[in-house]
Amino acid sequence: MNNMALLCTVCFVAVAALISMKQKLGLEKEILIGTIRSAVQLLFIGYVLHFVFETSHPAFIIIIILCMIMVAAWNAGAKAKHVRGIRSRIAIALACTEGVTMAILLGLSIIDPTPQYIIPVSGIIIGSSMIVCGLLLNQMKREMETARGEMEMLLALGATEKQAVHGSLRRSVRASMIPTLDGMKTVGLVQLPGMMTGMIVAGADPIEAVRYQILIMFVLASSAAMTAMVLSLISYRLWFTKDARLLPMLPEDN
Amino acid sequence: MTVLLVNEMAKSKFDNRNEWLFTGVTAEIRPEDRIVLLGGSGQGKSTLLRILSLLEPFDKGDLQLDGQTSAECKPQSWRKKVTYVAQKPVMRSGTVAHNLRTVSELHHKPFEEELARSYMEAVGLGKMDWDKQASDLSGGEQQRLALVRSLLLHPELLLLDEITSSLDPASKRAVEKLLMDWAAGQANGLERAYLWITHDLDQARLISNQVWFMAEGRLLERSATEVFFENPATEQAGLFIHSLQETGGEKQ
Repeated sequence: MNNMALLCTVCFVAVAALISMKQKLGLEKEILIGTIRSAVQLLFIGYVLHFVFETSHPAFIIIIILCMIMVAAWNAGAKAKHVRGIRSRIAIALACTEGVTMAILLGLSIIDPTPQYIIPVSGIIIGSSMIVCGLLLNQMKREMETARGEMEMLLALGATEKQAVHGSLRRSVRASMIPTLDGMKTVGLVQLPGMMTGMIVAGADPIEAVRYQILIMFVLASSAAMTAMVLSLISYRLWFTKDARLLPMLPEDN
Repeated sequence: MTVLLVNEMAKSKFDNRNEWLFTGVTAEIRPEDRIVLLGGSGQGKSTLLRILSLLEPFDKGDLQLDGQTSAECKPQSWRKKVTYVAQKPVMRSGTVAHNLRTVSELHHKPFEEELARSYMEAVGLGKMDWDKQASDLSGGEQQRLALVRSLLLHPELLLLDEITSSLDPASKRAVEKLLMDWAAGQANGLERAYLWITHDLDQARLISNQVWFMAEGRLLERSATEVFFENPATEQAGLFIHSLQETGGEKQ
C-alpha cells in the first residue's frame, strides 16, 4: 500500500467523526485520540519489527515477548486490582503458556525459528490468553459475591482455602475457556480470522492461509486451557487473607 | 478441655473505620458453659461470633484458645474446635446425604452414618429421605440440616447465630434439647460449650446458665441466667428485658 492510499484511509475516520458531529454524540475527541494512537502505535511497532527482523537477534525477540507479557498482565490485572499480587501471577501464567506453546511449535518444527513467525504468533497467544485471564478474574469476582456464603460455610467447617474455593474456581475456569471453544465452532462460518484475512490480502494461497489458521485455532484452545489452569492454581490463595478468611467485599467497584 | 479467652477486644464499624462497633470485650468460655448472647440489633453480636471463629478480623485485643493466640493457631484447626453456625443456612448443591458427608469429605474421615442418623432423629428429621435435593428443603429443615452438618465436625465450642429462627415450636424444642444434652456431654461423655444468639427470652432462660448482654458498644453484662433475669445489674439490661417482654406479650 503506498503512502497516498494510506492517507486516504483517514476518510473512514472522517465518516465516523462526521456522524458523531451530526448526531451530537460528542465522540469527536475520542475518535481523534483513537485515530492518532492507533496510527502511532502501529507505525511504531512496524518500525520496531522491521528493525528486529533485520537484525534477527534472539535478545530482541525475548525483549518484545516480555513487553507483551507485561502489558497484557497489567491490562488483565486491572479487572481485580484489589487482589494483591494478581498482576505478577498473570504474568507468570502468560509466560508459562507462551513458553510451553513456543517450545512445542519450535521443537516440532511447526513454525520456523525466525522473528517473522515467533513474534506474531506470540502476540496471538499472549493476547488471547490475556482475555482468558480477564474472563477468569471477572468470574471469580462474581463468585466472591454469589458463592460467598458457601465458601464461608466450608471455612467454618474447617476447610482449607483450596477446598472452600474449589467450586468457584472450577466455574471460573470454565467461564474463561468457553468463548475460545465457541470461537472454534463458528470460525470460518461467521468470522474470517484476522490473520488468515491478512495473509490472503498479502497474496498468500487461501489454502496455505487456512493451514496456518487451523494451527492458530488449536494453539489458542491449548493456551486458553493452560493459562486458565495455571492462573487458577497460582492465584486462588490471593482471594484469602493470610489467616484464611475471604477478602472483604469491595463497596462497588467496576 | 477447651477454654476460649477474649481479652479487651475491639472491632471498628465496617462503613466507618474511626468508630467502634464494640470495644473492651473481655470474656471467657469454658466447658459446660451454655451462654446466651443478648442485645439489640446492630450491636455486633453476629460479628463477635464470626470473630471468635476467625471468620472476621478484629482491630484490637486478643483471642486465645487453650493458651494459644489466634495468630499462632492454624485457622482450620481453630475452626474445627470453635465452629460457627450461621443464621441463614447455606446448602451445598446436591442431596441431603451429600451435605451430611461434607465434614467427612473435607477432613478425609469416614462418614459417621449412625451418629448422623441419631442427630437427624433428634432434630425431628429422622424420616427425611437422604436422596432428596437439599435445595428443595424448607427453610426450617435446612436450618436443622446445617446444624447436624456442623455437629458432625465434633466441635468443642459451638457459636450459634439464631439457629432456631425459622423453626416451628416443636422443632425448636427438639433442637434446644439436643444442644443442651450435647453441651452436658450426654452425647459422648465430653463436655462442650455453646454461645447462642437469640431474641427469644423464654428460649434464653431455658437453654442458658449464663447471659452475655451487649449494648452501647460494650459487653455490659456477664452473669448467671437467674441473676440476669431476676436482677439485672445495668439499667440498659432492665429496659431490654422489659421491652422484649412487652412485645412478647403482645404476640400472645
